[in-house]
Amino acid sequence: MLEVRNLCKNFGGLAVAKNISLSLKKGERRVVLGPNGAGKTTLFNLLAGTLTPTSGSIILGGRNITRAPVEKRARLGLARSYQKNNLFEGLTVRENLGLAATTASGRTASLRCCAHDGAEMQDIIAEVAEQVGLSDSLDKPVSSCPYGNRRQLEVGLALAARPKLLLMDEPTSGVGPNMIDAFDKLIHALPRDLTMLIIEHDFDLGFNVADSITVLNYGEVVFEGSPEATRQSREVKEIYLGDWNHA
Amino acid sequence: MFYQTSIKTVCVAAVTFGLIAYAMLGGYFAREIVIEIALLAMLAIALDFLAGYGGMISLCHGAIYGVGAYIFGATTALSGTDPWLAALAAIAGTALFGWIVGAITANVGGIFFIMATLAFGQMAYVIVFESRALGGDDGLAGVGRFDLSAVGVNLNDSLQFALLCVAGMLLAYMVAATVLRSSFGRTLSGIHANEDRMQALGLSVRTHKANAFAISGAIAGAAGMLAAQHTQYISPEYLVWTLSGEALVVVILGGIGTLAGPVVGAALLVTLEHFIGGYTDRWHMFIGAILIVAVMAGRRGLFGEIEHRLSRRSETKTEAGIHA
Ligand SMILES: Nc1ncnc2c1ncn2[C@@H]1O[C@H](COP(=O)(O)OP(=O)(O)OP(=O)(O)O)[C@@H](O)[C@H]1O
Ligand SMILES: [Mg+2]
Repeated sequence: MLEVRNLCKNFGGLAVAKNISLSLKKGERRVVLGPNGAGKTTLFNLLAGTLTPTSGSIILGGRNITRAPVEKRARLGLARSYQKNNLFEGLTVRENLGLAATTASGRTASLRCCAHDGAEMQDIIAEVAEQVGLSDSLDKPVSSCPYGNRRQLEVGLALAARPKLLLMDEPTSGVGPNMIDAFDKLIHALPRDLTMLIIEHDFDLGFNVADSITVLNYGEVVFEGSPEATRQSREVKEIYLGDWNHA
Repeated sequence: MFYQTSIKTVCVAAVTFGLIAYAMLGGYFAREIVIEIALLAMLAIALDFLAGYGGMISLCHGAIYGVGAYIFGATTALSGTDPWLAALAAIAGTALFGWIVGAITANVGGIFFIMATLAFGQMAYVIVFESRALGGDDGLAGVGRFDLSAVGVNLNDSLQFALLCVAGMLLAYMVAATVLRSSFGRTLSGIHANEDRMQALGLSVRTHKANAFAISGAIAGAAGMLAAQHTQYISPEYLVWTLSGEALVVVILGGIGTLAGPVVGAALLVTLEHFIGGYTDRWHMFIGAILIVAVMAGRRGLFGEIEHRLSRRSETKTEAGIHA
């Protein structure tokens, strides 16, 4: 599904991605761990196309997308949610999800019909709202939603795109334990053929949802393995200075 | 996002009926005012479509209006082209002009976008000004008008021409409203709200912006095309950048991002201009003061303020579709 080979990115003299290689099978759920500044978000930006790599290649579903523009990658089925909420401010939750679902479906050009209000999109909106727990807030302006709801919507926008490959950057950052549980359930309820790459700071959640784990540090992949192997890895333990067991 | 609320329908209908009544009851002078309002409203609708819903604050709409006037005026005056064909050429030509400006400026943000559009407008102005074939500084006389005698309309009659311009305004509003209610328009609002996210969802933002600019350009060009028929004379004055500024003033005065606002704003501005202008030459000062108040007090403009208050009172948005 996704093949990343020897990906490098330098900002001036600073190498923030060093020879990153990873391979995701269709339906695989990979959790990316790593301390602050490890280069996790940068990796997502490279995959999604907001940054172009200095060298290396990215193959999505057999196609080389290393230099493809952002929208092309999205049309190939890549969707992402952001570490910092990146919503359509000033609009309602329903309008937000409608924009995501319709834009991703490519039905943006009609000058007469409104696909956003059509039954098909409204079904997706209702379904995604249900998945992320926003069914009761659909007609609220996002600006009046509490942070937790906004975080749910951030993930909802990516889900509404009906992706094949879903990148989620710290989807649970800043939310309470209830919502982390809800997110755990959400991930488990998603279709098994959806390939996911999730940056997560909550280890329990990460180990719980992952099929496999990649650990980044200083822009490098320092470990890759099953959740069990990661739990036991000395190397990974050292990176997190042992505060891991209480995390 | 645009919704054709009943408040919008009522306001646009009220201005329309007001203009028709004034044209019918008043004399030649009244009809000149009605024409001025209708054409300025069309231009402001075009600008609000782009600026209010697409976030693209263009300062070349005056020039696009002028290009529309010139394509229509030059083809009818110089080669005696059929006015309907000339009108089609004016609309297509201004759509193309808008598309090119939109495509080139799509990645430019904020103040630089405004300056870039201004530069395009100035370029068009200079080209027209320097062109001998187009009459240069002197302009061209002998511009034609539509022939509607087949349906019993005589456009050389000032009342009937004024009514044509009001119809043009209404049509421009309905076209803009229909497009804004469509997938295309919703997508445009999405770009306005969060361009990067739209791109990340798979939208080719540049193409969409260019297409929106083309639609807006066509509406502005249609207004210019009517203006050329009105005066039956074209000169580089039509492309002067201050017209772009005036359109922006109308949009802000009426309420940016409301679509009905430009109609209200145009009626207000032209009325003030003529009535305050009757007492003092300093009417610009009064308009300036009113504009400052409009911007400071809630930043919604006149129609925006009315809509805000009424919709807060009722809290129920009724969607009345005037565009079936
Ligand atoms: N545009 C940029 N220009 C220069 N340096 C950058 C840029 N973006 C990121 N960096 C640097 O790259 C490094 C990796 O940043 P990145 O945001 O990818 O880390 P992260 O793993 O996502 O961290 P966090 O857990 O805090 O989100 C950091 O040192 C950061 O300062
Ligand atoms: Mg990050």
